[in-house]
Amino acid sequence: MKKRKPGTRSRPTGSTRPSRAARKPRSSGVFTLSAECTIAESAPLQADLSRLLDKEAPVTLDAKELQRIDTAGMQVIAAFVRERNAGGRQVQWRNAPPTLLCAARLLGLGALLGLPQPTP
Amino acid sequence: MTIDLTQFHDAFFEESFEALDSMEAALLKLDIGAPDKELINTIFRVAHSIKGGSATFGFSEIASFTHSLETLLDELRSGNMQVTLPMSDLLLKSVDVLRAMLRAVQAKQPLDAQRVSDLQFDLELMIAQKPALAPAFAPAPVPAPVAAPAPATEAVAPVAVTAPADGVEAAAGNRWQIRFRPFREFFARGNDPMRMLRELAELGELSVTVDADSLPQLAQLNPQECHLAWVLELSGAVAEEPIKQVFEWAEGDCELEIRQVGGRPAGVPEAILADAAADALLSVPAVEPAAATVAEPARSEAPVAPAAPVAAAKPEASVSSLDSGSIRVSVEKIDELMNTVGELVITQAMLNQLGSTLDGPTAEKLRAGLAQLERNTRELQESVMRVRMLPITFVFSRFPRMVRDLAQRLGKQIELKLTGEQTELDKTVLEKIGDPLVHLVRNSVDHGIETPETRIAAGKPAFGTVHLDACHRGGNIAVEVSDDGQGLDKDRILAKARARNLIGPNDQLTDEQIHDLIFLPGFSTAEKTTDVSGRGVGMDVVRRNVKELGGKIELRTERGKGSRFIITLPLTLAIVDGQSVAVGTETYIVPLISIVESMQLKTSSVSRLSGRGEVFSFRGDYLPIIRLHELYGIEPRAHSLQEGLIVVAEGDGRRVGLFVDDLLGQQQVVIKSLEANYGHVEGVSGATILGDGSVALILDVPGIIRAASLRAAA
Repeated sequence: MKKRKPGTRSRPTGSTRPSRAARKPRSSGVFTLSAECTIAESAPLQADLSRLLDKEAPVTLDAKELQRIDTAGMQVIAAFVRERNAGGRQVQWRNAPPTLLCAARLLGLGALLGLPQPTP
Repeated sequence: MTIDLTQFHDAFFEESFEALDSMEAALLKLDIGAPDKELINTIFRVAHSIKGGSATFGFSEIASFTHSLETLLDELRSGNMQVTLPMSDLLLKSVDVLRAMLRAVQAKQPLDAQRVSDLQFDLELMIAQKPALAPAFAPAPVPAPVAAPAPATEAVAPVAVTAPADGVEAAAGNRWQIRFRPFREFFARGNDPMRMLRELAELGELSVTVDADSLPQLAQLNPQECHLAWVLELSGAVAEEPIKQVFEWAEGDCELEIRQVGGRPAGVPEAILADAAADALLSVPAVEPAAATVAEPARSEAPVAPAAPVAAAKPEASVSSLDSGSIRVSVEKIDELMNTVGELVITQAMLNQLGSTLDGPTAEKLRAGLAQLERNTRELQESVMRVRMLPITFVFSRFPRMVRDLAQRLGKQIELKLTGEQTELDKTVLEKIGDPLVHLVRNSVDHGIETPETRIAAGKPAFGTVHLDACHRGGNIAVEVSDDGQGLDKDRILAKARARNLIGPNDQLTDEQIHDLIFLPGFSTAEKTTDVSGRGVGMDVVRRNVKELGGKIELRTERGKGSRFIITLPLTLAIVDGQSVAVGTETYIVPLISIVESMQLKTSSVSRLSGRGEVFSFRGDYLPIIRLHELYGIEPRAHSLQEGLIVVAEGDGRRVGLFVDDLLGQQQVVIKSLEANYGHVEGVSGATILGDGSVALILDVPGIIRAASLRAAA
């Protein structure tokens, strides 16, 4: 398999989901989560995030497009954030929608993910 | 709409029994001290699926028992407890009890409640007595991969999103602690914890503490599996029932513990509440300081690695159980198919016979077509027969447990070797060979293998070996039970036989004849009767069962070296190799296995004995002559013994000469049950339809011998 530089991921062939196109991480280390971060999308999400694991510069997760997320999706993100933090590498959030904050609060993952507490 | 669940009961029982078999096998393979993770998972899955099924069908006793079992297994699975010998015994006993419970429920009989509750108590006791090496809710005590620098520690530390102390408005309500640990396949079953937590949050003030310790590193994570667990605190005017309802659909897919941690009567200082909350949360943070001290290099992949194959194997296993590429078919359907194929064979034989009488070019083509039909029919017949074939492992699988238990009870060290487990034989044969094999294996363990001290004194390894082997031999299957024990003591057998007047004081017997003695009813040389064997029932039953299957049993033994019992069985009971013989206008089939040889008699070798009818000399023995035409009241073609032929046949250890007009040929015949179509006739084991469409009876030689001796006695 061809090795790619992290952050220069190309779209997998055969995928025509529009939401996945928007996910292309820019070299700046901003990764845009797709609209659906559910179990159905959890494997590609895992693959995408895996490539960002060892990136030295802080990675920013942009959730501006996120519309739906479930426990499986949260679990993948949690594993990612935890592993990066463990390696002393930062993960920042941008545009976290109420959906995400609410999910994090319900699952008790807010602190682990480094998400701000939602205002009630 | 309500669904009638009873229609699924049979499948549930069948699957549960099979699952218990595999659980038992896995338990036996489990090494004390260093158990294989995958084996524990297999065992756990069985308990789990039986629990789920029995809960669904309302078999609450089974569900409750399996719950305790599952709890213990989960402790094993998570590494909180170690497999010990008493535990392995307890788990094996649980398999027995579960089997008994399932059987009782299946037969709608009352359960042995005492036995169940005793064992359940033992299980709970064992769980309660586990060494306090880990907090109740923490998973494997491996340093979690999260252990590392400060930000990480902070990140994983459980966080009460809403501190319980904040929930002032819940003052007059209850407080519930809910420990919720979904199984890995939770997502795959269509469940989402978030949905449940949301519903809970609607019931009252919810405080959530996540346990992410089991969450593997990203690369090892199977995103379709749930690795998170939660401790929840719900406060407010909430009863238990609505909480249970939230988890209703997840029952059996998670570990769930709902308990009331106390209501908060008005006026109780908030500090107490906060303390209680802190207690509740204590379990997880307690690990953190220790884990956090683990230096960065320790955050290698090592601690996670063992979990990875397990995680990967799990969904596969659950998928394979759904999609193993096999279907369950009732035996009746297969028998029906078999019957139809039998008819087809007969029709084909009829056509063949008809075709052979025709002439001309068209007849030639017809014969070619018939030859093709014959080939296809034979293939079809073989395929259908194969459907009925099952690997002998179905019978062998019961022995590891049996040998283990017996050896333990008798204080012997025994290794059981199984080979040729994949050898297939007909289901009917398989069902009937089980008991004889049990007798033989018990005998080997009890009488064959010596105690370790005796063995060492005799220069043998302390571990005795009992070997079960199965293989195809020609058209038959040979099943062998051998051991490297003390072998049979010929002198003792002879002495015993003489003492019981089974043989005369001066009779000289060949080895073979001596070995035959042990198959006599009530014969045992065991010095003392144990509850294992030695009562003298058994070997004669073994031989009778084997004979009923159309097989035979041989014994080879050497003093001090061991014994070998070799059982030869036909592959199937549906088809028999037969010799067709003519008596008058009738044709009879004599099973080839019963025939010793066929011969023409000389007048000189025949004599008449008063009271015993005609006998003839055969290799130094006098065998009675049974004239089949007399037995069946037929007008024969050959009246004098010299005109016809004698078929020397053997049954029940006795030989006779069957007098027939002529031998017609050997062929495989499809057995049709006479009992099912007509009724039992002594001396006839079944019928078959010949190529010309006529019916031929298949002779049951032991039956004929019995019938003839009755006539002679009358």
